[in-house]
Amino acid sequence: MPGSSPKSQLPLTPAVLYILLALADAERHGYAIARAVEEASSGDVRMGPGTLYGSIQRMLRSSLIEEVPARRRPADDDERRRYYRITTFGRRVLDLELQRLGRLIRVAHDKRLLGGPGVA
Amino acid sequence: MRRMALPERVYRLAMTILPPDFRERYADEMVDFARTRLRAARELGAVAVMRESASLLADLARSAPSLWFEERPFAVTPPQRDDMDILVQDLKFGARALLRRPAFTVVAALTLALGIGANTAIFSLVNAVLIRPLPYKDPGRLVLVWGTQGSQNNQGVVYADYVDWRRQNHTFEEIGALRGQSVNLTGAATPDRLIGNFVSASALRAFGARVEQGRIFTDRETELATMAPVALISHETWTMRFGADAAILGRQIVINGTSFTVIGVLAPRMPTPMFSETPDVMVPIGYYPNAHGLDRGTRGIAVVGRLKPGVTIDAAQRDLQAIEQQLAKMYPTTNAGTGAEVVSLRDYTVGPTKAPLYILLAAVAAVLLIACANVANLQLARGASRARELSVRAALGAGRMRIARQLLTESVMLSLVGGISGAGLAFVMTKGLVALLSPLMPVYPDTIRVDGVVLLFALVVSLATGILFGLPPAWKASRTRLTETLRTRIGGGLHVRTRNSLVVVQLALSLALLASAGLLTRSLLALEHVDPGFDGENLLTAQFRLSPSKYDSPDKIWSMFERTIAEIRALPGVESAALVRASPLSGNGESYPAMVEGRPAPRAGEAPLVVVNPVSTDYFSTMRIPLLAGRDVASTDRTGTLPVVLVNRSYAERTWPGESPIGKRVKFGDDDWRTVIGEVGDTRHYSLNESQLLEAYIPYAQRPQIFTSLVVRTQGTPTDMVKPVQQAIWRVDRDQPVWRFRSMERDLAAVVSSSKVSMLLIGLFALVALLVAVVGIYGVLSYTMAQRTHEVGIRIALGADAGRVRRMVIGEGLQLIGVAVAIGLVASLGAARLLRSQLYGVAPHDVVTFVVVSVALAGVALVACYLPARRASRVDPMVALRSE
Repeated sequence: MPGSSPKSQLPLTPAVLYILLALADAERHGYAIARAVEEASSGDVRMGPGTLYGSIQRMLRSSLIEEVPARRRPADDDERRRYYRITTFGRRVLDLELQRLGRLIRVAHDKRLLGGPGVA
Repeated sequence: MRRMALPERVYRLAMTILPPDFRERYADEMVDFARTRLRAARELGAVAVMRESASLLADLARSAPSLWFEERPFAVTPPQRDDMDILVQDLKFGARALLRRPAFTVVAALTLALGIGANTAIFSLVNAVLIRPLPYKDPGRLVLVWGTQGSQNNQGVVYADYVDWRRQNHTFEEIGALRGQSVNLTGAATPDRLIGNFVSASALRAFGARVEQGRIFTDRETELATMAPVALISHETWTMRFGADAAILGRQIVINGTSFTVIGVLAPRMPTPMFSETPDVMVPIGYYPNAHGLDRGTRGIAVVGRLKPGVTIDAAQRDLQAIEQQLAKMYPTTNAGTGAEVVSLRDYTVGPTKAPLYILLAAVAAVLLIACANVANLQLARGASRARELSVRAALGAGRMRIARQLLTESVMLSLVGGISGAGLAFVMTKGLVALLSPLMPVYPDTIRVDGVVLLFALVVSLATGILFGLPPAWKASRTRLTETLRTRIGGGLHVRTRNSLVVVQLALSLALLASAGLLTRSLLALEHVDPGFDGENLLTAQFRLSPSKYDSPDKIWSMFERTIAEIRALPGVESAALVRASPLSGNGESYPAMVEGRPAPRAGEAPLVVVNPVSTDYFSTMRIPLLAGRDVASTDRTGTLPVVLVNRSYAERTWPGESPIGKRVKFGDDDWRTVIGEVGDTRHYSLNESQLLEAYIPYAQRPQIFTSLVVRTQGTPTDMVKPVQQAIWRVDRDQPVWRFRSMERDLAAVVSSSKVSMLLIGLFALVALLVAVVGIYGVLSYTMAQRTHEVGIRIALGADAGRVRRMVIGEGLQLIGVAVAIGLVASLGAARLLRSQLYGVAPHDVVTFVVVSVALAGVALVACYLPARRASRVDPMVALRSE
């Protein structure tokens, strides 16, 4: 949204971060988002419909994502399904959040907190 | 369609814990989602289904609170914006919205300006009279003390009692005595009559009299034993009568025939607590002209006190009461049954104006409420046409609260525009009010003005107004189901119920105002039709007081009076003339306890009080008071002849019911026994709305007093005779001042004028209210009808005739009017209770008034309904159907 800085959105909640990630490479409908999140987190993050659509509503309001206009949807898809895609603003926010997380990882790495595989 | 599985149904049911908006938008997809999950689980067995169901329900329960929470205003608009940003944006947007509809904005702002202006103007009056402190040093501690006698309150105080109070009290920092009395100032170009105050030094200290030159009195100068002929003059007297004489201090002036030395000039406009007018001159209380005035047993002085810090009125009252009880034991003949009553100076000064002012304030507030309802209605009408605009904004991401806030900002902006214009109007209206009301208010007219406090009031009222009329539309907007509005083609019927309620409120309030105005009008009419008992037309009155040092015996006084009245009767243009000690409606008069010969003496304080008035011959014929029995005062009734008295009808009927009073003997106070020689008609003495007093008239010659009033029946305009009458008196004594020349007709008119002013104002408010309310009901019905053009068109196309359509519309109007009248009548009864103290000759629940105003209101409102009804009945079905 014009006038508000992407920084003010940080840090993102896990749900929002995962949804943004899921939408970063494709337009998806609700259930598809949940599936993508589940896959990306290797089943760790399993969103219920309430959490999912609640997050979607919030993200729509803060313009992180937007609904895809109807005519661009695949022709044979269920009419009721709404497709969502990430906005430019959402992309900036995601970018900033990933940079932030990257810095955290680097710090942890430098402090040798991140062991190799197998280290608890 | 496939039957819905049980878990799915449970899930749908469980979803009701989510906000309806959210559900409406996502329910289908969520159910889809849940179904897919459940289907997958079913392949893994019953346990998996159970686990999945539980997890789905838990998910709902987890997300519900935050979803509801986001419906709250503060969490509405992520990304979070600065409050100031929002305000600036709202203000810009509001200004644009208002400018886009100039007609609405002007009408609404004008309505509000009128309402706020009128409230501000009335408040400037309330502020000057009731809120601003009295013009004395530390006025909260100032009190007045009255004497009480038996069951009678508000009596003057006995000077000797005051002396004991002053010596023995524990609660007063200062307590002083004063007495107002006009005085003769002689030795100047023409003899003059001044407003005089006879005071003790302690009284001056009590209320904090300030001098601009010289000093105030010392205790020594005002004690009876050591009193000195010193005088204080007012700043105004100094400049107007003494030409601001620089050498005024030490100058000798002659007051009531005695020479006084001026020792001080009071600060400009220094009032004394008891009397509304600034006294022209003050002298020590010992110089009070009536020699008996300060004796024990004679009431008449006023007492002003300053309480010690922290002392309550009750404590002071108990203190003085205890002293009074002791005095009663010491002086049983004079002090039995007497007491003291302490009242705050504030109550005394502003008490009588409190009720009328609050009534005016309530009336004008009602007008503002009606105006608010009207603007709210206009807003709602706009709101309906704006519904789509708002829905679009909502769809673009504006939260409900954000939109409500926007609308509220707009309302407040509008009310501030109204308030600013209103404050401007208030300046003008306040000027008008001062001209109309200031003679009735206990403050200087120029203190009634629009000042900082008043402007602050206007600001607060404007803000409150804006919020008040802005809330219904904002509330509506926050409640509107946006998706619904987007789907329907028009926002028709959206706010009808709210608008109807607002119209009902308007009409009901108008009815209450109309009823109040009606009651006041009836009261005024009753007052104007009171028979004063005499004929006030072509009647001139005046007062004069002889100098006690020059006229020091009853013979001298009476011979002066006799020569004067003879001179006046001889004047061309004078039909007849007479002397009376206290003419009706002059405020003068003396009451005494009466005894009847042959009947046991009543106990102290229980004897009937009779207004005893000395009159000369021809008084009754001059006043045209009928002589009902016996004879009039004759020139042979003099000192030394049989003491006689005439009684009025009420006194005669009360004392000797069914008997002739002639020949009976009565006694007033410690006067002689007097034989009743005649019975005359009743008159109103102090005011027109008093209950009938018992009156007695004694021949002036049998009890000459230095103070007298003159009544002259003239052939032409009474005031034309002022000069000749004055000359006639001066032919008898060229040093004799005469004052208060008045036309009785004018005095009679003045008595009703205060009632007239409040009636006119309330009447004006009521009319404005009615007008606004009628415009309101007209607007609502027109609007609803416009929304229903389509429906009406169909009805007409299906054969409904014009009359039927009209009846339908009027029927709807009638429902509103009926509800409004019912509520309004209840409100009217409440208003009438407030008015009770202002009513005369009409009950607060006067049925006639209530019926008349209800019918009038309903009639006017029906006319307002008729116009939209007629328009509706003329709808051309083809046009109506095509327009949709």
